[in-house]
Amino acid sequence: MTETWRLLLTGDHSAKENMAIDKAILVAHSKGLVPPTVRFYRWRPSAISIGYFQRLSEEVDLASCDAHGIDYVRRITGGGAVFHEDELTYSIVVSESHPSIPKHILESYGLICQAIIEGFSVLNIPSDYAPINDILVKGKKISGNAQTRKLRTVLQHGTILMDVDVDKMFSVLKVPNEKIKDKLITNVKERVTSLRHVKGEHISFDTVADAMKQGFERTFNVTLEEGVITEDELQLSEGFVKDCFGNDSWNHMR
Amino acid sequence: MEKQIVYKVPGGKLLKISLSFDETTHKIKDIMISGDFFAYPEESIEDLEQVLKEKVLDAKELQDVIGSFIKDHDVEFIGVDASTLTDAILEALA
Repeated sequence: MTETWRLLLTGDHSAKENMAIDKAILVAHSKGLVPPTVRFYRWRPSAISIGYFQRLSEEVDLASCDAHGIDYVRRITGGGAVFHEDELTYSIVVSESHPSIPKHILESYGLICQAIIEGFSVLNIPSDYAPINDILVKGKKISGNAQTRKLRTVLQHGTILMDVDVDKMFSVLKVPNEKIKDKLITNVKERVTSLRHVKGEHISFDTVADAMKQGFERTFNVTLEEGVITEDELQLSEGFVKDCFGNDSWNHMR
Repeated sequence: MEKQIVYKVPGGKLLKISLSFDETTHKIKDIMISGDFFAYPEESIEDLEQVLKEKVLDAKELQDVIGSFIKDHDVEFIGVDASTLTDAILEALA
């Protein structure tokens, strides 16, 4: 019999709420309170998330963020700074001991990215995994992914770019050398793509979410059944907003 | 002496290191290792930064200290390793 996992469609949230919800699902699942979960979500307002090891002040132009009403948050996962605007973000939470999860971290990146690649194939878009944590379409990045393992539980989250405004992205991201900023922007424009660009038209969030749902179902051989976030998770998440992701001491930690 | 190091790791990740060290003894006073790499568990980076204090900016010493830290604390780095971290830190003397 096929296993059933939970699908959460949590809609739009602020950066601190989004990161708190992912962590809440991880903690709730580690306590056996909720099934393995795949979540699809968006960021309102637009936001930058930085990797656990990055320095906020070095990666993000905070004054420009404030001027543009753009949020920022430090993730619990490593990896790079990401500008979240027109995208589908997913997260998957599943126990390390689940039989389908490879013990080896790099292998589990590959497997979870395979679910996204399957999702792209539902949309008739061939894509490739580019280790460690990218997915490419025709050699250009369309998805970035980051994984953590805590409490014997895997949390991987990642982005699927639906559209991208590189100029806007660089108005809030800092670059190491202002002199080469224009060249860098040109480079990123050449290296990054989006569903809109690949398909030549806008694809709705729901269409992408449905494709990615099928991608996870096929890859993990499970049925994803839409569920709701539990009272336990809401409480955990409110705590994490207050004590962690909404807090300067976390976001400016490094 | 204070140094800000930006080091491109073969394979694509970027290490950014803030370092202060004694100019005479080459001993590290303070170090912060940041960048877009991965480490498991993530919090071990703070412990590694502590361990590196008072160590000398020397290839063998750094490689040994970082290598033993990774082994003893069961840390897994992805995108960087003891050798690339050592090379990056030694840029301080370049």
